[in-house]
Amino acid sequence: MPARREIEVEATPEQVWEAIATEEGREDWLQEPDREVRIEVVEEPSRLVWWWAGEQQAATRVEFQIVAAPAGARVIVTESEPAFPLAMLAASFALVAV
Amino acid sequence: MIDALLREGTTSVPRLSAELPITRQAVAKHLATLGAAGLVERAPAGGREVRYRLRDGALESASEWLARTEAAWGSRFARLKDAVERRA
Repeated sequence: MPARREIEVEATPEQVWEAIATEEGREDWLQEPDREVRIEVVEEPSRLVWWWAGEQQAATRVEFQIVAAPAGARVIVTESEPAFPLAMLAASFALVAV
Repeated sequence: MIDALLREGTTSVPRLSAELPITRQAVAKHLATLGAAGLVERAPAGGREVRYRLRDGALESASEWLARTEAAWGSRFARLKDAVERRA
């Protein structure tokens, strides 16, 4: 099951887009110096997808949707589950068993 | 084998084969499988013996990951909101 979180902000979808889709914008809030962000899908200003991974973190896919809302904009993020080591282990034992 | 790793923290093939009812070859094979699955890593060398340990987060469950990740996005989104509303 992916992780999911949303928030409403008093700013336009375009302003939110700048903060999420550009490196300068992310510097103000992301604070993940150990993870490398690789942008995969760019649909300005409503949808952005990136993959990220770090030395201690497995690769996951992060998807943002930005929609207009009464206050300004709503941002929804989903982050995909990493491949869990135990699940991978079960899979490799299943391969051995076959 | 994972129990033994949890008990000892850092261990080696000879120590594991002394403790478990399997041969050194079997221990080495198991360690290789655990390593390929990302559960076990080589510890920094402490003498001549090659030592192994469980990786950080190796036993984290899906529900623990979910709770940790959603909490992390909660904090990031609070900072995002501050940042964009300051500029807007």
